Amino acid sequence: MHYCRITNEDAVLDGEKLLSFEGAADTGEKLLALYRYVAPDYPKFYKMDLLSKTSFLGVELLKSSCSGLASAPEDAVALLFANSESSADTDIRFRDSYEIERLPGPSLFVYTLPNIALGEISIRNKWYGEHMFAVFPNFAPAYFVDHSALLLDDGAEWVIGGWVNVRNGPDALIFAMDKGENRSRDGFMSRLEDSLEELYRD
Amino acid sequence: MLTDAYVTGMGVISAIGRNVGENLHALLHKQPGIAAVETGARKEAVMAGRVAFDDETLARNLGFSRFPVSRTSLLGMTAALEAWGDNRHIPGLKTGLISSTSVGGMDKSEVFYDDFLAGRQADYDVLVCHDSGTASERIAEFLGITGYVNTISTACSSGANAIMLGARLLRSGRLDRVLVGGSDALTRFTINGFESLMIYDREWTRPFDESRTGLNLGEGAAFLLMESEKSLQMTGNRPSGRVKGWGNAADAYHQTASSPEGKGATLAISEAIRTAGLTPADISYINAHGTGTPNNDLSESVALKNIFGASVPSFSSTKAFTGHTLAAAGAIEAVYSLLAIREGTIWPNLNFTEAIRDTGLVPVTEPEKCMVNTVLSNSFGFGGNNSSLVFTL
Amino acid sequence: MATATLKEELKGHIIEQLNLEDVRVGDFVDSAPLFGEGGVGLDSIDALELIVLLEKHYHINVTNPEEGKVVFYSIDSMADYIEKHRK
Repeated sequence: MHYCRITNEDAVLDGEKLLSFEGAADTGEKLLALYRYVAPDYPKFYKMDLLSKTSFLGVELLKSSCSGLASAPEDAVALLFANSESSADTDIRFRDSYEIERLPGPSLFVYTLPNIALGEISIRNKWYGEHMFAVFPNFAPAYFVDHSALLLDDGAEWVIGGWVNVRNGPDALIFAMDKGENRSRDGFMSRLEDSLEELYRD
Repeated sequence: MLTDAYVTGMGVISAIGRNVGENLHALLHKQPGIAAVETGARKEAVMAGRVAFDDETLARNLGFSRFPVSRTSLLGMTAALEAWGDNRHIPGLKTGLISSTSVGGMDKSEVFYDDFLAGRQADYDVLVCHDSGTASERIAEFLGITGYVNTISTACSSGANAIMLGARLLRSGRLDRVLVGGSDALTRFTINGFESLMIYDREWTRPFDESRTGLNLGEGAAFLLMESEKSLQMTGNRPSGRVKGWGNAADAYHQTASSPEGKGATLAISEAIRTAGLTPADISYINAHGTGTPNNDLSESVALKNIFGASVPSFSSTKAFTGHTLAAAGAIEAVYSLLAIREGTIWPNLNFTEAIRDTGLVPVTEPEKCMVNTVLSNSFGFGGNNSSLVFTL
Repeated sequence: MATATLKEELKGHIIEQLNLEDVRVGDFVDSAPLFGEGGVGLDSIDALELIVLLEKHYHINVTNPEEGKVVFYSIDSMADYIEKHRK
């Protein structure tokens, strides 16, 4: 399994620190710094909301460490995301646009759903597989374990999982696993819940 | 043998009725629930499908008095209670709840915001309702479901995805029975939002009609109680239908618009028919997503032609009855699909006069009595999240 | 014919309203299409944001999205429209 962690402090890929966010004033600046580091040359990034930006960058980072992802069939990459704040960050901005400015902002409204982040990832990579977004009170590793197994049994070759919050700065754990990993490694799934918990708390 | 997901309970509340019986009556008699509604979103009233009861009445009917509670929760509890019926906790049966919502407790947050901005004493307690998961927790608590509780938020396909996930959890043996559905209340937030995208019809919405210009929003909730074979043996409940197939696919085209070639929709429909072990020719009726927006109805029509070629089965959108109820839509339309099978009736697509020029598909416009064995129900959401379900007897 | 000042001001508003981080005022070609491949490559949500922009800065109401297709073709067409309709 490969993973990346994006927090208020830094961005880490498979345990290796890639970039420190020291000096960046807010979440937007941190994500912009990471965008410049990853340098995907994808101007649509600038128009995304913070949840989409964070999720998008996490997947871009994972692509560099998961060589098999690029050659996966277009409908065989499943996206399984969750968080605890849904799209609240953008919801508030959109509400301000109609309550305060009296002009509801269409480009804000389109991001008032958490699963739009998965749409952005799909559009970028031309992935047509399943995608699911769930909302839990707290980090929920069991959700990822149960549903990754379901998806890998049901035809997905890759599952990219992600827990992404942004209201108090970026807080993301995004990971990728392939079908072979699920099958071949003895007890991989049974250990996954603990591994995720550990990576997230780390 | 993998178990099917047997539906043994249904509950629905929408603009056309507060329970399954009232909804059925309205569908049979072509009585829509869309009317001019004052929402405060704009100066003029907007055409929308509002549930005819205020929060206090909904709470009283439930015997519920723990305030504050969001309208999304109250609608959800009403439908969930009807679906759950007098079932009870059975030791040895793993029971779960998968609910879904797109606005959560936004209705209550808007009240808070008005008070706060006006400098009035604002009740901070209402903010606990805002979270999308709150509605699920309220419903679970209300019905005494303590095991698996999950909240899905994938826009307008949420309700369908809750059903799909529930069916899979039964099949994999992780759960024995599961209450699945969705709930969303009307809010200024969503009305303003769809208006800003210029896809809110100021007139009564006209799904699949050449002259369509947009959707009308609605509110409501629906739940299904689904059980495995093992659960049926223990509860003795009699199933009224089955969730037989499901498919979910990304459209990978645009944040909100569907692709002109209906790629994600086509993938979802064909996957749902395949997992049901059926062929397109087996489908008797399609309950279409049919929101009435120029983009959705064209893209969905193209997808239907991709799958069914020249012989598209009888189809209709029921959104001119209820309005588009967002996360609840897939669940409400699952109830209508199962009712179509039970009643041997195809529901009419209201307000249709002229077929879309590019595709020429003509929906069913009068309630039509016939054998309905297999229903395909589509739910396509923003983010390009497309889901299809197949229901059988 | 719309003034050069109006066009420059309009470009600034567009960059701000649409979050075009990588685009500078000098990058616009007044007569070039704003949408589709090439140019600054705007999409359908941007078109809706341009409607908001006209309302916010020039108090002009565009109620029919079809009308937008003509109005928002280029900087030239937008500026002409503003000249004709501004209040």
